[in-house]
Amino acid sequence: MVNLTIDGKKYQAEEGQNVLEVALENGIEIPHLCYHENLSPYGGCRLCLVEVTRNGRAFLTTSCTYPCLDGIIVKTDTPEVLRARRLVLELLMPLAPEAPQLQALARQMEIEEPRFKTDEEADDCIRCGLCVRACTELVGAQAITFSGRGYRKTVEPPFGEEALDCIGCGTCVFLCPTGCIQMVDKSAERTIARWQRTLPLKACSSCGRYYIPFAQIEFARQKSREAPAEDWFDLCPDCR
Amino acid sequence: MNDANVYAVKSLTKKEYLAPGHRSCLGCGEVLAVRLVHKALGRNTITASATGCMEIVSSPFPLTSWEIPWIHVAFENAAAVAGGIEAALKVLERKGKIAPKDIHVVAMAGDGGTADIGLQALSGAMERGHKFLYVCYDNEAYMNTGVQRSSATPFGAHTTTSPAGEIVPGQITWKKNMPEIAVAHNIPYVATASPSYPLDLVNKIKKGAEAEGPAYVHILSVCPTGWGVGSEETIKIGRLAVQTGFFPLYEVENGRYRITVDCEELEPLERYLQPQRRFRHLTKEMIDFIRQRVLEQWEELKRRAGQTDPVAG
Repeated sequence: MVNLTIDGKKYQAEEGQNVLEVALENGIEIPHLCYHENLSPYGGCRLCLVEVTRNGRAFLTTSCTYPCLDGIIVKTDTPEVLRARRLVLELLMPLAPEAPQLQALARQMEIEEPRFKTDEEADDCIRCGLCVRACTELVGAQAITFSGRGYRKTVEPPFGEEALDCIGCGTCVFLCPTGCIQMVDKSAERTIARWQRTLPLKACSSCGRYYIPFAQIEFARQKSREAPAEDWFDLCPDCR
Repeated sequence: MNDANVYAVKSLTKKEYLAPGHRSCLGCGEVLAVRLVHKALGRNTITASATGCMEIVSSPFPLTSWEIPWIHVAFENAAAVAGGIEAALKVLERKGKIAPKDIHVVAMAGDGGTADIGLQALSGAMERGHKFLYVCYDNEAYMNTGVQRSSATPFGAHTTTSPAGEIVPGQITWKKNMPEIAVAHNIPYVATASPSYPLDLVNKIKKGAEAEGPAYVHILSVCPTGWGVGSEETIKIGRLAVQTGFFPLYEVENGRYRITVDCEELEPLERYLQPQRRFRHLTKEMIDFIRQRVLEQWEELKRRAGQTDPVAG
């Protein structure tokens, strides 16, 4: 157990917890887009900036990647923190001007018009890496990855071609904070346009409903320690 | 969102706000919905609950399942109490007694507490424009008192106060269309959801909680006890209700309709009705009669979704 102070109140935290985790657990709100409790912290969106004072020195850092250490003092709403956070959001906004979550944050911070503009067309991706981490850590398919650096950084399938390892599970679609990844099911086909992937779907042999991509069945067979029965995937969960 | 997704559900929080050990029936769809709703809302939530199954099973004196502030109020005023909580939070914030914070105020009630007894309180709260989320857990009758009919009971269903006999075929009125009543109040967000489509439900609750004003989410909760289905069939029946067009899943955002779980072809209605004991007396003619109404409503919904937003149609 370590003791730390957040916004003037003393809290106890488990060894190895991050500042953001403890703050959220105790009902202190810090805006964040790239943090997810079931994924490893990444510090990509920079919105969760806080002021940490350790050994008498204060500095700004991302609370999602900063560990709880004994005796640190965290402040989440100093003028410096709020100004830095505001700048971060203003820099994020041109990347995804239409995203409702960013707009809600902008309303909260009273930003009317973002200061910055980009020359390139916005692709609605804010490079938070939730999709990449989910694909690696939750699913294990590793179909997409970051490529490029700096302002050229994008999330892409390998070589920018069809994501051959994508199993069409849609976890990235669910987690994306801006909704820039879309998945469309049309009769026997599922399309995730952003990963240039079109997957054939398997129909249930009893009710005839298309319910799972063939690639996902193959993936499940490879990953499971005990191979499921040969005809296990013939029936959808409702007909089993 | 696809319902057979086994990976995306791993991203839901592992924290439980409705503790296990409550006293709901085996296979209760409603308690599953409550659990998912509060997983979606998170810790900063205050819930006002009307009388009903969920109040009975989660708070038998002196115990409680709730890990968040939760208040049980009378049958008719869950929405009024939620409105009051929201107003009180606003005042406390204005006076500087609490720091400004995004606290979700939620009212929850069953179909009786929403469509019958709590309707005027709900209508008033929606009209006044409180920023709160109203969740109706609709199991289509007064289940905890022993399956009495409510105005949300579907046509033809057998309940103890609408018994099916030789002359009267169970419930003789159509189900009250609560989501449409909510839409008619011009509130920012209205949706229907089902715990059989958990990711869709979580998305809708999150959207509703963030709406700038009242939000209404109507959740069809399968009740194995009252509907006469096996407790292992809950999820399947919930899914069939959607796939047969009996309970379509859609959302209305600022007046724009969108069907969230689209069915290219509806399943035959018999697949939904026949496994349920409350519908077992229905003759073929009556099923056709119900089918006609279901198809009409489905077409009407598709028309609205298509007309107001050509992309989603």
